[in-house]
Amino acid sequence: MNIKNLFLLLIAALLFACKPELDDATTTAGSADFAKYVAIGNSLTAGFTDSELFISGQNNSYPSILANQMLAVGGGEFKQPMMLDEYGFGRRMLLNAAAQRPVSAGVPVNPANFNSIASDGPFNNLGVPGIKSFHLVPGAEAYSNLNPYYRRFAAQPGVSTVLGEAVAQNPTFFTCWVGSNDVLVYAAAGGASDSITNPALFQVVMGAVLQQLTANGAKGAVANVPDITSIPYFSFMNTQLPYNGLVLTQPQQVAALNFGYAPLNAFIKMMGSTDTLAFQLGQNPFVIADKELPWGMRQMRSDELFLLTLSAATDSINHGWGSLAPIPDRYVLTQAEIDRIKSATDSYNNILMTLASQFDLAYVDTKGLLEKVSTESIERDGIKFTGTYVTGNTFSLDGVHITGQAAAMVANEFIKSINAKYGSALKEVSPVYYSGLFYY
Amino acid sequence: MRRFSILILLISITAGMLYAGGYQVRLQGQRQTGMGLIGTSLRGDASSLFYNPAGLSSINGKWSFSAGFSPIFNKVGFRLEGDPNTVYNDNPVGTPFSFYGSTMITKKLGFGIGAYTPYGSSAVWGDDWIGASLVQDLSLKAIFIQPTLSYKFGDVFSIGAGFVIASGTVELNRAVPYNSPAVEGQANLTGDAMEYGYNVGIMVTPGDKWSFGLNYRSEIIMSVEDGEAKFTLPTSIQPIIPVENKFSADLPLPANLDFGVSYQATEKLLLAIEANYVFWEVYDSLKFTFEEQPDLLNSSNPRLYSNSLIGRIGAEYKFSDIVTGRLGMYYDPTPTNEDYFTPETPSLTTLGISAGLSIYPIENFAIDISYLHLETKQASKSYLPANFKGDYKSRTIIPGVGLTYNF
Repeated sequence: MNIKNLFLLLIAALLFACKPELDDATTTAGSADFAKYVAIGNSLTAGFTDSELFISGQNNSYPSILANQMLAVGGGEFKQPMMLDEYGFGRRMLLNAAAQRPVSAGVPVNPANFNSIASDGPFNNLGVPGIKSFHLVPGAEAYSNLNPYYRRFAAQPGVSTVLGEAVAQNPTFFTCWVGSNDVLVYAAAGGASDSITNPALFQVVMGAVLQQLTANGAKGAVANVPDITSIPYFSFMNTQLPYNGLVLTQPQQVAALNFGYAPLNAFIKMMGSTDTLAFQLGQNPFVIADKELPWGMRQMRSDELFLLTLSAATDSINHGWGSLAPIPDRYVLTQAEIDRIKSATDSYNNILMTLASQFDLAYVDTKGLLEKVSTESIERDGIKFTGTYVTGNTFSLDGVHITGQAAAMVANEFIKSINAKYGSALKEVSPVYYSGLFYY
Repeated sequence: MRRFSILILLISITAGMLYAGGYQVRLQGQRQTGMGLIGTSLRGDASSLFYNPAGLSSINGKWSFSAGFSPIFNKVGFRLEGDPNTVYNDNPVGTPFSFYGSTMITKKLGFGIGAYTPYGSSAVWGDDWIGASLVQDLSLKAIFIQPTLSYKFGDVFSIGAGFVIASGTVELNRAVPYNSPAVEGQANLTGDAMEYGYNVGIMVTPGDKWSFGLNYRSEIIMSVEDGEAKFTLPTSIQPIIPVENKFSADLPLPANLDFGVSYQATEKLLLAIEANYVFWEVYDSLKFTFEEQPDLLNSSNPRLYSNSLIGRIGAEYKFSDIVTGRLGMYYDPTPTNEDYFTPETPSLTTLGISAGLSIYPIENFAIDISYLHLETKQASKSYLPANFKGDYKSRTIIPGVGLTYNF
C-alpha cells in the first residue's frame, strides 16, 4: 500500500467514524404484523397517474408510501412491478405551462415495457390499472392475459389471478381498494357502453377475496369506493360549458330550431310526454342523446354532466352538436346514469363496510376523503387540495387519477384507520415530499 | 512512556468538540484549537493576530510565523418527522487554514499579517433528497486577510488593531418545483463578494500569573451583487422563468466579542477560560432579489438567529522543553431558531472536546497538532415556511497540524 492509498483510507475512516446514529423514533406495530404487506387494487393502487403508469407515479403510489412508513414498525421489502421508464405504454400527459393546457408527452414508446417482468416477482403491489372486482378471482384467469398492465407482471398470463398471486405470498398484512372500475368504466363511456357490476356479484367476489386473504390470520385494511361523479373527468367540463351553454343571439336561429324540432315535439306529445324541445333567445340547454327515450334525445338538465372527453370535440359543438344534432351519449352522464352509479357505489360501500367488520379489518373512508376535497378543501403543510382540475393538487392531468401528493393524503387516511384498528404507530406523511404535476 | 499514554487517553476521549455555531469556523490556530479554541488571553505566536491582535506585541523573538491546517470531517444525520429512514449529508472535507507572520518593529510595536478562513459552510445533501427544495448543496467560503498593528504600553497593557479584507464565494443549489420527466427543476446560484471589517483587542497582564484579553471582531455583511442565477427548467416553463438571471443577496458574518482569562498555575501548567459572545442576531433573513421576473422569484427566507454565548475551558501543560500538551472543552449553544432551522447550515448545540500537542525539535520551532471532536444532541427542528420538520444529529472530527516558528 502506497502513501496515497493510506491517506485515502485514513480520510474514509475518519468520515466513517464521524457518522452519528439517530435514536429510534418510538413506534409500534400494535397488533398488526407488517412483515409481508401485499396491496391489491386498481390503477390507484398501481400508481397510475396522468393517463399512464410510469416509474415516478409508481414510486408515489399510496401502497409504496405505506410500505415505507411500515419499515419503522417491522415492515419488509415492498416490490412493485416497475415500468422501465417515465412513459410506460406511451399515453402519459404533461402540463404545458406556457400554453396552460395538458398535452401528450409525445415520446416514442419503449416496446420493452410490454415484456414480462414476472421473473422479478412475486410483487407486493398487485394493483392493476383497469381491473374490476370480479377480475380478481378464479374464473377470471383470462384477464391476466388480456390486460397488458397485468400481463407484464402476471406470474402466468392466462392462468394467474390477482387474488391467487396475493394469497401465494402468504401476506401478514394487506390493503384492498377495489370497486371504482366497477362503476367507472361504465361512467367513462357516458353510460353508452360497458355495464355497472351487479352489487350481488360484488358481494360474492369481495367476500371471497377477504375470506382468502384473512384465512392465515393476516390483518388488513379495506378502502371504500369514492363518488366518481365528482372527479374532474365528470365535473370539469360543466365549468367550461354549462348544461345551458347553447347561446342563441338571433331570432332566426331560435325560429329555425323550434321549426326544425316541431315534428319531433309532436311525436313526443303523442307519446304522452311533456319533455319537448324548446328554444329561446339567450341560454338554452343543449340537446343530448338519451337512449332511454324512444325518440332518443332531449334537452339537458342542470345536474347532468359532460365528460372531459368533450373538450376535444368543441369543433363539433360549434358545428351543430347540442343544437342541430344531439351531443352523443358517450359524452354525457344523464341523471338516470348518475343515479345508477351512485346507487351502485352506495351498495358496494355497504358491502365493504359489512365485510370489513365481518373479517375484523380496518375500514378506510376514501369516499369521505375525496368528498371533503371536492365539496370543501383539505389543507396540509401548505398544500391546498381541492377537486379542481389541474390546479386543485388532487387530480392528475387525466382528471381521474390522483397526484403523488394526493396519494400521500390517501396513505394518511389508510394510516389513520390502520392505527385506530390495530393500535399501531404508523406515522403520517407530509404531501410536500411527493410529486405534483409534471410539466412539458 | 507515561506522557505518551496520557496522550492516547486524551485522543480516545472522543466526547466532543467543534467549530462554532452557525457557519463560523474558529480553527485559526493549532495551539488554541487544542485548548478548546481559547485564544483571547494567550500570547506567544503570530496566531494572536486572529484571536487577539493585542497579543502580537508580546511575542518572544523578533519574528514569528505560524501556519496551520484543520480538515473538518463532518456528518449530519437527518430524519424527517414520520419517516423511518435517516439520511446523511455527504459533505466534502472542509479545509480551513491559517497563515500568520509578525515582526516587532520596535520593542513595543508589533506588525503582522495573516490569512485565515473564519467562516465557511459546506453542506451536500444530494439532488434528490427529501429537503431538496430547501437546499441540495451549499458551499460558503470566506478568506480574511488582516494586516495588524499592536502596541505595548509597558509590561501590563497592550492593544492591537487589524484591518480585515474579507473575500467570499457562495454557491447554492436547490430544487424548484417544476419537473418534467426528463428535467428536475433546479436553481443554481453563485456569487462572490469583497468587504471590509476590523479586529481590535486589549490584553492586560498584571504580573506573571494572570492574563486578561478582550477582543472584538466586527460584523461584515457579505453583499453579493450581480450573482449568477441559472435555472434548469422544463421547456414549457422557460417562457415564464428565464433560465439565465442575475441575483443579489446579503449574507452577514456576525461580530464577536470575546473575553478570556488565563492563569499560570505552576511553571508548567496554564489554565484558561473564555467566553465568546457572537452577535448572530444580524442573521435575520436571507433575501434573494432577482433582476428578471422579480415578482415571481424574489424571496425572503426567515432565519431569525439569536446571539449566542460560548463558554470554554482549557489547559496547557509543559511536559518538558520538547513536549507541551493541551486539553480543552467548550459548550456552544446554537444560534439558530428552532422553527426556522434549515439544513443548509444545520448548526446544533454542540459540545466540543479538544486535545493538542506541540513538539519542539529545536528551540522556538514547534510542530503543532490538535484534535477536536464535536458532538451534538439529537434535536428536533422545523423550517416552518416549508413545513420541514425532523430530527438532526451531527458529529465532527477535526484533526489539525501546524508549524510555529519564533526567532
